[in-house]
Amino acid sequence: MSSAASALQMLERRQAVLANNLANASTKGFKAETAFSRLMGNALAATDTAVNLTPGTLTQTHNPFDLAVNGDGFFVVQTPNGERLVRNGSFQLNAERQLVDEKGNPVLGDGGAISIPPGQVEINKAGLIEVNGKPLTRLRVETVASGADLQHEGGTMFVPDATRKAIAPEDRDIKQGFLEESNVNALTAMTDMLSVLHRYQAAQKTLSTIDAARGIAVNDLAKPV
Amino acid sequence: MDPALRAAATGMMAQQTRTEVIANNLANVNTAGFKRSRAQFEDLLYQTIQGTQVIGGTEAETLPAIQVGRGTRLSGVQRLHEQGPIEQTGRNLDVAIEGEGFFQVQLPNGELGYTRDGSFQISDQGVLVTGAGYTIQPPVRIPGDGTELTISNTGVVSVRRGNEIMPTEIGRIELARFANPSGLLNLGQNLLAPTTASGQPVVGFPNDEGMGRLQQGSLEGSNVEIVQEMVEMIAAQRAYEINSKSIKTADEMGQIANNIVN
Repeated sequence: MSSAASALQMLERRQAVLANNLANASTKGFKAETAFSRLMGNALAATDTAVNLTPGTLTQTHNPFDLAVNGDGFFVVQTPNGERLVRNGSFQLNAERQLVDEKGNPVLGDGGAISIPPGQVEINKAGLIEVNGKPLTRLRVETVASGADLQHEGGTMFVPDATRKAIAPEDRDIKQGFLEESNVNALTAMTDMLSVLHRYQAAQKTLSTIDAARGIAVNDLAKPV
Repeated sequence: MDPALRAAATGMMAQQTRTEVIANNLANVNTAGFKRSRAQFEDLLYQTIQGTQVIGGTEAETLPAIQVGRGTRLSGVQRLHEQGPIEQTGRNLDVAIEGEGFFQVQLPNGELGYTRDGSFQISDQGVLVTGAGYTIQPPVRIPGDGTELTISNTGVVSVRRGNEIMPTEIGRIELARFANPSGLLNLGQNLLAPTTASGQPVVGFPNDEGMGRLQQGSLEGSNVEIVQEMVEMIAAQRAYEINSKSIKTADEMGQIANNIVN
């Protein structure tokens, strides 16, 4: 009985994870959470989540401060809670001409926050920012080891773990004027949702059947014939 | 089911706002100097459900802590100041800006407003005004006997007076530039106002210090592209639909849970 109940709970969590993924189907730079179910001990099922780092499609926006990392890597922003990694490169200048994210957190370069003087801004593959042809600074781009325990934080930010390390300029592919779409695959998410629903139904049937059987055992066995 | 229901509801709300932004863009597809906006979203804070120790069969194990997201929300509506198409009109009082910058106009409240809409007129007082009647700053006064008004790339306004052969310079149009034009406040009527997010205006002559150059006889069209907006609208509709399916599934699961004992 407890294994059927734990299955119900596990499926509810999976459904919550799927609903959050679908709600973020148009959040730039969002990475879906994959829920894994596994068997524990004898019969108890548990849900485990991991950030799915599959790249999203890059869409051209022509906006000079829209940046995307093609392939591996994250931009680094300075938040009040510390440095965070982001894939959403929808940046802009603030009133002091600092390069900031949508929430106003400074985007970090090799020398810290980046102030951009007026002029034509070009950002190359390696993350070098040039203004009117003159090199200014280089964006910081970092990665984490595969299988790292990356934690989602609101605002499409990730809390880096101890495995973080810089990506060498020659190994980067930064795209200026592009944004990365959410990597949520609506079709897979819908199919998963249906399968969760059906398994939920099955677990409920199991629970009801066990309950009915116990009912018979408790109420009927002792009845005088 | 509750977290799933709530997350899906935030998704539906977000897509509704996105559709409103797209509808406004499409409504302004023929507005001179209009800049399209885009709705941007971010994921909400995550809840970490701590793992508890359970005993299954004979073994004791700790369930892993999992992160459950709470959906999405609007993080901002960003106006995109990319150049609109420069369209020839042939009218000598139409002026387009190619590149950065805004025309400055005097608003009735005494403050300055900023616009990219260069469809000018000459007021009954003989000064250059915008389509809505706001005077361009600094003012350009056109003499009564002036003919053949020309506006150069660098903003110099000249006319031919009376029977003179050489044109006379009567004023110069200045432009203003902002560090973050996306931070300007929309006043309607194609007018924008500075905010702390946009920064203070930097005034200069056209074609100087990164300022755009002027083109007489042209207007800057809206930078809204219908096909792009339509694609966005379809995507928004689909995303709305799929979130409604999430709600339906969560609801069905709720019903099933309620029927465990019947």
